[in-house]
Amino acid sequence: MSTDDLQHLIDQSLNGLATDEQTAALEQILLADEQARDHYINCANLHSSMIRRFAVAEQAHSYLDESPPRRRLAPQVFALAATIVLLIGVAVGIRQLMPSSTQASPLATISQTVGAYRPSDEPFTIGESIDAGLVSIDRGLVQLDFANGASLTLEGPAKLEVKDPYQVILHSGIVTATIPESAIGFTVDTSTARVVDLGTAFGVSVAADGATDVCVFDGEVEVLLSTSEVTASTTTAHLVKEGQSVRATIDSPEIAEVSYNPRPFENAWPLSSGVLQTTGNLRFVSPGPDFHPGNFQDNDNIVVFPERSNFTPDEPILVDLVDPGQYQRTHYKEKRKLAPGLKVTSYLLQLDSYPAGKNPNIQRRVQGQITFARPIVGVITMTRLLQESEDIFGFPDVQYHTAREIEPRPAGDKRPGFDSLVLAADRRTLVVDLMESPLHLDQIRVLVESE
Amino acid sequence: MTDPSLDDSSRHEAFVALYVRHEAAVFSFVLTMVSQSADAEDIVQRASITMWRCFDQFQPGTNFRAWAFQIAKNEALNHLSKVKRDRHVFSEKLINLLADRAEERADDLDTRRRALDLCVEKLTTDDRSMVEGCYAEGSSIRAFAKRAGESENKIYKRLNRVRGGLLKCIEFQLGLEASR
Repeated sequence: MSTDDLQHLIDQSLNGLATDEQTAALEQILLADEQARDHYINCANLHSSMIRRFAVAEQAHSYLDESPPRRRLAPQVFALAATIVLLIGVAVGIRQLMPSSTQASPLATISQTVGAYRPSDEPFTIGESIDAGLVSIDRGLVQLDFANGASLTLEGPAKLEVKDPYQVILHSGIVTATIPESAIGFTVDTSTARVVDLGTAFGVSVAADGATDVCVFDGEVEVLLSTSEVTASTTTAHLVKEGQSVRATIDSPEIAEVSYNPRPFENAWPLSSGVLQTTGNLRFVSPGPDFHPGNFQDNDNIVVFPERSNFTPDEPILVDLVDPGQYQRTHYKEKRKLAPGLKVTSYLLQLDSYPAGKNPNIQRRVQGQITFARPIVGVITMTRLLQESEDIFGFPDVQYHTAREIEPRPAGDKRPGFDSLVLAADRRTLVVDLMESPLHLDQIRVLVESE
Repeated sequence: MTDPSLDDSSRHEAFVALYVRHEAAVFSFVLTMVSQSADAEDIVQRASITMWRCFDQFQPGTNFRAWAFQIAKNEALNHLSKVKRDRHVFSEKLINLLADRAEERADDLDTRRRALDLCVEKLTTDDRSMVEGCYAEGSSIRAFAKRAGESENKIYKRLNRVRGGLLKCIEFQLGLEASR
């Protein structure tokens, strides 16, 4: 093996092009030859350094330079928040959050992406125009906004054909749709079914064998069995309401009702609801019918529910946290007011654990982070403030009987077991670290600016 | 245990200061084990969260880099055990050899990364813009080749050549420093 051959294998490997055989060949050389190992380490070290130098530096600056107008917290807290965002590597760079210029009236525009790539490995970018034709996504999530207001989120791998402003064909994969009144009649066709929207939010998935699942989160849709030619007149429409799921398969004579299962859509649906991504033990759930947060006791996850969307409160709303930094307990009279006239969407984060196992009082930490598509304008956790905002943002007819504010570590307290909540410098990310304790609920209401 | 006299914000500050100083070393260390940058980014990201969670267990005054490497190595091994079903990855035996050696040479590798700054300055404008295009966040060699109107293969070859040159330049710089 010459040094050229070794160099070729190392280059292939670092470029991500090595075949299994090449990786195995490189492995044999490195196992046998100490000098080769040192050379490989030097090459990897150089490559790592170039990646950091040319790729990440810009992004780091854009986070760190974003200084909030009124920063009341210690700079190191702010720096940590910024760093956590960097550490955790929020998949969406600042550049992606800035829509680039759009061309004259395309059928649809890409309004959001989360790690979204085409099968050719080219990334989808925000602001990209989508005209009639096939959209193939290999991985990640991409949101398409149609001029008529319809919004689709596609989760890779998937193939979606855009026909016109009111019709798409899902060949494979998962799509969730939010259809406002302006786009009622929007149709998603698959090889086995036709889904006609009647003003709603729903998800459609197409498996490799063509089996189509339709799950309605809100409102209602009409589902028809498609024959070889999609003609609405040949089959009777099946009305599917929120909280219902149906399935159509290639050889099924009719649409079958199946149990409601929003799980397959839990990745794509949050994006439609303004959540870019969750990591760690944060789980986004779609409320569905007969929703009650009390139904979501979960010992492993902080559960996130969308509450009221696009709403401008008339009365002043008091909030616990406005500026990036760590939440510290303050007195009621020191609370800040949400900026008046702001249109917001609210989300509830909840940790509601149940006593489990032999040690029902054991306390564990549950950690995670959530990044919203739009800036967070207020965070509420004090029980009194949660109660006050309940009427405005909360689910109707839901009452909580326990205290539910989180307990941050008081300054100077060194005992273990406190909660931590950090609003990161990007103003879109919350880093949450909660001690789980049965019989005690932790809730955080997050107010995010609407478009 | 971290110094109990530290309050929470001082702990944050201490962690951030240490992590920022050693992030490049951790990334290089992980990339050495897994070769592929996307994998390395994922692993470093997970490792950094683990480090922060376990920061209570870090003994102040001891070697943070060594502690961070240990956590990063565990994350890398976890990751490799998952992906090895889909593709060939380095064996645990080789990972151990590489990790031990990279840790042994950590100071030397730090120096080499610093020397890169000088060498990058010496690149021709063309080479530099190619390197920037290929390594830019969210960019890919394929996309860059398309923009530049060249074949991917050609760009890879140029990139390999430029990296080879940079490696020689770094050796030269280190030689200069050693002889001073």
